[in-house]
Amino acid sequence: MPALLAVAALPAPAASVHGQGQPVRVNGVRSVSFGTVFPGIPKSVPRTDALNSGRFDIRAAAGSQLQLSFALPSAMTGPGGATMPLSFGGGDAGYSATQSVASQVGFDPRVPFLATMGGPPGRAAVFLGGTVTPLASQPAGSYTGTITLTVVYFP
Amino acid sequence: MTKAAWLALAALCTTSRLPAQGVMVAPKAVFMSSGSGSGSVTLLNPGTDPVEVVVSVFYGYTATDSAGQLRLITIDHPDSTQPSAAAWLQAFPRRLTLGPRDQQVVRLLATPPAGLPDGEYWARLAFTAKAGELPVAGVSDSATIKVGLTLQIQQVIGLHYRNGQVRTGIALSGLEAVRQGDSVIVHARLERQGNAAYLGTVHAAIVGSNGKPAGELRVPITVFFANRPRWAVSIAGAPADQYRLRLDITPQRDDLERQVLLRSPAVSDSVAVQSP
Repeated sequence: MPALLAVAALPAPAASVHGQGQPVRVNGVRSVSFGTVFPGIPKSVPRTDALNSGRFDIRAAAGSQLQLSFALPSAMTGPGGATMPLSFGGGDAGYSATQSVASQVGFDPRVPFLATMGGPPGRAAVFLGGTVTPLASQPAGSYTGTITLTVVYFP
Repeated sequence: MTKAAWLALAALCTTSRLPAQGVMVAPKAVFMSSGSGSGSVTLLNPGTDPVEVVVSVFYGYTATDSAGQLRLITIDHPDSTQPSAAAWLQAFPRRLTLGPRDQQVVRLLATPPAGLPDGEYWARLAFTAKAGELPVAGVSDSATIKVGLTLQIQQVIGLHYRNGQVRTGIALSGLEAVRQGDSVIVHARLERQGNAAYLGTVHAAIVGSNGKPAGELRVPITVFFANRPRWAVSIAGAPADQYRLRLDITPQRDDLERQVLLRSPAVSDSVAVQSP
């Protein structure tokens, strides 16, 4: 509690978003979309799929370096605790310094990737594909999972 | 164009600038000192939906791996030899919801232990926001398997806490340059001096036997302990020649305010570019 009181007494800093360098922003534009899935039939979405691949947009100063890493689920959870395997291969992620799905540098989403912002204007995109592998006996219903993209700014 | 068409175009442009949820974080590095003991980070939600953000503090610094690539090194339980500020740095609030186009200041309070030696101490601030969620797709058929993946975004920035007298510098050694195709691959060992991280800029220039530049690279660097980075300097289209690499490291940064930069001497070296 003393710490809270001390913070409350601090002078309000200027609410500027222009401190050390250009502010940075990451948007989750869309998630990986597998559409309709059938039991026993694996379905893959490539990172170059302009409609169904996952996409994150990044805005930061041109030339700045970022570390990108994913926390990826190995399965999705469904009705009654049922799980459905989800996998990501070594080339399932892509980085585009021009935000173009047609111009990507592929990387392994399971290991960190060092990206350099292009530009100006300093806009980039990260694309993600993956494979869902329903079992032949996969129960019907809704399955969910969470994909986390961590962006580390240097310095 | 009619007024209605202009309004429609303006609305379209507004929408295209705000494609989805996400927060802006500023600054991208926080510098605090024992003089004030407090700092702040501003979060801005430029989107049209509320965003829930969780703030956390941990210890970490960057270093190069065996390939010369920068990596964030994190240590969950740093011992006393590590200059960690994570244990005595607090963020308020630690969980918040930003409304549409709302911004909020996250305050940082440092309560370092008494007798803390002079030097710079480090932490990382993580801002985790749940972003757009894909609606579960598919027809309303109970026999259908429907899949929905939620996106979550974590943005990590650095924090430097300076206690008492701080000083820094850089020692450059082991400079190597090898031509590989249209690039010159540069390796060097950079060792930080003093008791604070080195913030500076590397300028690498490739010069031909006629004295004319064939390529150059300018890159910001932060050295917490020691790094052995790898840089590729493009010399696309340059003819075969006896090239030399000149490397200059200066304590200047275009992306940081001048007052956070510590003074130190510039460092230079040069080496002949080797053929593969």
